[in-house]
Amino acid sequence: MTKYLLLFKREFLRIADRPVYWFVMVIAPLGVYAFFVLLMRAGLPSELPVGLVDLDQTATSRSIARNLDAFQRTHIVENYANVSEARRAMQRGDIYAFFLIPHGATHKANRQQQATVSFYVNYSYLIAASLTYQDLRMMSELASGAAARRVLYAKGVTEEQAMAYLQPIVMDTHPLNNPQLNYNVYLSNTIIPGMLLLFVSLLTAYSVGTEIKDGTAHEWMQLARGSIKRALWVKLVPQFIIFFLMGTIYVLLFYAVLHFPCQCGIPTMLGAMTLLVLAGQGLGLFFFALLPSLRMSMSMCSLWGVLSFSMSGMSYPVMAMHPAIQGLADFFPLRHYFLIYVNCALDGFGWQYATWNILALLLFAFAPLLFMPRLKYSVLHYRYVP
Amino acid sequence: MIRQYYASYWKEGFRAFLFIFNRELRQVFRDEGVVLFFIIVPIFYPILYSLIYTTETIREVPAAVVDMCRTTRSRDYIRRVDGTPDVQVVAQCANLQEAQEMIRRREVYGIIYVPREFDTELQAGKQTHVSLFVDMSGLLYYKAILVANTNVSLQLNAEIKVERAGNTTEEQDRVSTYPISYEEVNIYNPQGGMASFLIPAVLILILQQTLLLGVGLLAGTARETNRLHELIPVERSHHGLLRIVFGKSAVYLLIYAVQSVISLGIIPRLFGLPQIGNPVTLAFFLTPFLLSITFFAMTLSALIRERENVILIIVFASLPLLFLSGISWPAAAMPTALKLISYLFPSTFGINGYVHINTMGADLLEVRHEWDALWIQTALYFLTCCLTFRYKILRARIRTYQEYKRTRTQALAPPSE
Repeated sequence: MTKYLLLFKREFLRIADRPVYWFVMVIAPLGVYAFFVLLMRAGLPSELPVGLVDLDQTATSRSIARNLDAFQRTHIVENYANVSEARRAMQRGDIYAFFLIPHGATHKANRQQQATVSFYVNYSYLIAASLTYQDLRMMSELASGAAARRVLYAKGVTEEQAMAYLQPIVMDTHPLNNPQLNYNVYLSNTIIPGMLLLFVSLLTAYSVGTEIKDGTAHEWMQLARGSIKRALWVKLVPQFIIFFLMGTIYVLLFYAVLHFPCQCGIPTMLGAMTLLVLAGQGLGLFFFALLPSLRMSMSMCSLWGVLSFSMSGMSYPVMAMHPAIQGLADFFPLRHYFLIYVNCALDGFGWQYATWNILALLLFAFAPLLFMPRLKYSVLHYRYVP
Repeated sequence: MIRQYYASYWKEGFRAFLFIFNRELRQVFRDEGVVLFFIIVPIFYPILYSLIYTTETIREVPAAVVDMCRTTRSRDYIRRVDGTPDVQVVAQCANLQEAQEMIRRREVYGIIYVPREFDTELQAGKQTHVSLFVDMSGLLYYKAILVANTNVSLQLNAEIKVERAGNTTEEQDRVSTYPISYEEVNIYNPQGGMASFLIPAVLILILQQTLLLGVGLLAGTARETNRLHELIPVERSHHGLLRIVFGKSAVYLLIYAVQSVISLGIIPRLFGLPQIGNPVTLAFFLTPFLLSITFFAMTLSALIRERENVILIIVFASLPLLFLSGISWPAAAMPTALKLISYLFPSTFGINGYVHINTMGADLLEVRHEWDALWIQTALYFLTCCLTFRYKILRARIRTYQEYKRTRTQALAPPSE
């Protein structure tokens, strides 16, 4: 018993002694939370700059422009003299899109000929482009509808009849559980746990690797009476506790304070967080067993961790990836956490629909048990090469 | 006499520069961590990312249909949605509950619900509604299902309008569907794809982050192997601040000039990403970018004590840096404080400038703002790099001298009995 206490004491001293631990376990996670809350405070961006090229210069074209400016997401910042000027402004990054009303558009519409307006959207800024696109398209539809409605009213039809004529089929869209299409909900819920996972796995590899680097590995093993399991267990428990606390802060901040969709209730998400931290520690140990050098195992953890943001399928669905890559997605713990989160918190389905993902995370957590002899060997026999 | 002095001064300076250059170059290839970040990651990562996003956009999102109407018109509607590239109708469910269960099992990502009155309302000349229920686990599912249905409904609307208008000519038909028609042009990324949008930014970020990691690791190693754990050893060859700074930075610049050609020139070509920039413009633009990241990396490296800590700090910053660049989350919607922070990092200007030149075909004149900013950063970080190195050199000398004095007094002291 006293041996255990000594071992724990040693671990706490190591943590307290090194600022790196505090940076990775406390400061960095809090920084990440603050960053994403601050960045996407608005939920969806509004007043994105777009340009206007009005070659028509009539009352109608100006009213189209005014209407467009009134939309929430777009803001006409400048009226350009011609398309080339607008293109250059786009290349400078001043505007994300521009609306073109060609010369004689009103004239044509008045003569019952078809006039054409265009809008140019720069899709190299995908999110800004998608948002401005919606407004620009809506505006174009409205412009067309307004012209037709004027004709119909002149013929004496009622508003209801006019609408039924103009838009016989209406789309009712129900984005389930994220009705405002809040972008923050969709990003933070995966990116922040992903960052936590990165920190957990990096620190696990770091804390074991530094024992070799500092030449304290033998003393460490001696204190653990030669049992690598005991040594690791005691080493990882304090880290687990602190990371779990940071995870709890995240869960409370986002689901209780900011009220992100959480159908399953907070305890279930805390459970998912537990699995995530455990899986991260398992991953860190696994990489250390694979490459028992501090630097290489940490590099692997970071390369894996950074890739997992893409491989989770949060922004780009796995089913759309290159077939050679699709199968790899299961090897990233964040992918499973993401699916658990979607299933439980976002959609509110029972946990049994995510059974496989829960098992996968447990597998990540306990996989290093298979490598214990190898870990012991490398801890005792590897030498740090600067 | 004086001329001779200067000649020998320059000669010695150049020799020292070469010595440091050679030593640093050897150091790069001797260290597996540095080789990993300098050589392997900048080549391997872009390929991996390109493979992930290479299909650009999602096609054939599986959706379930609940058709309560079951008439020719409703089936026509569903057939047309199925015919779009974005959506594939994989199941016909009898009711909403059945379709919901399919969503739970992740067999479909959306439900298209056609109400019983769909056809009768249309026949009566009233408005009718089609409901979409979309799983929001990915915005792309939502986008695909929404776009497919909107397009089909607009198309059907137009046809119904023509049917009811009773026109005589085709021109009348066109005018009654759209008195003012519109066309949408996706420029610079015609498919609106993920790869064309994300990869250019990631390429630049990878260059910066790997350089920071590699230089940080090198500095950490230097500290751990040098006597007294100083960054810069006290040796004959290591006096003269500029020789050290130039000698080291030349190595990094050389490697990264080659890496830039590979990852910015070859990778986009391999994966068919947009590449309409003028290579000369790009070279002009990349010069201050590479210089600024080099001096930025060297400044940071002087601040880091242990080599492994570099990984922790720099890896942590990667994702926030991507967001700070404004490529994904629009810079126009970013709080001012974060925008100011983003000006500290070369990646912010590097990513935007590169995207403008490479993807959007901008000239140097259009990226003037970014180009100026990168030169300012180059000057600033060169200065900070020199200052920190100067400080390190001085400290190393003082400590060496103290060490020397201590050992001397010890040696000269009479042996104590």
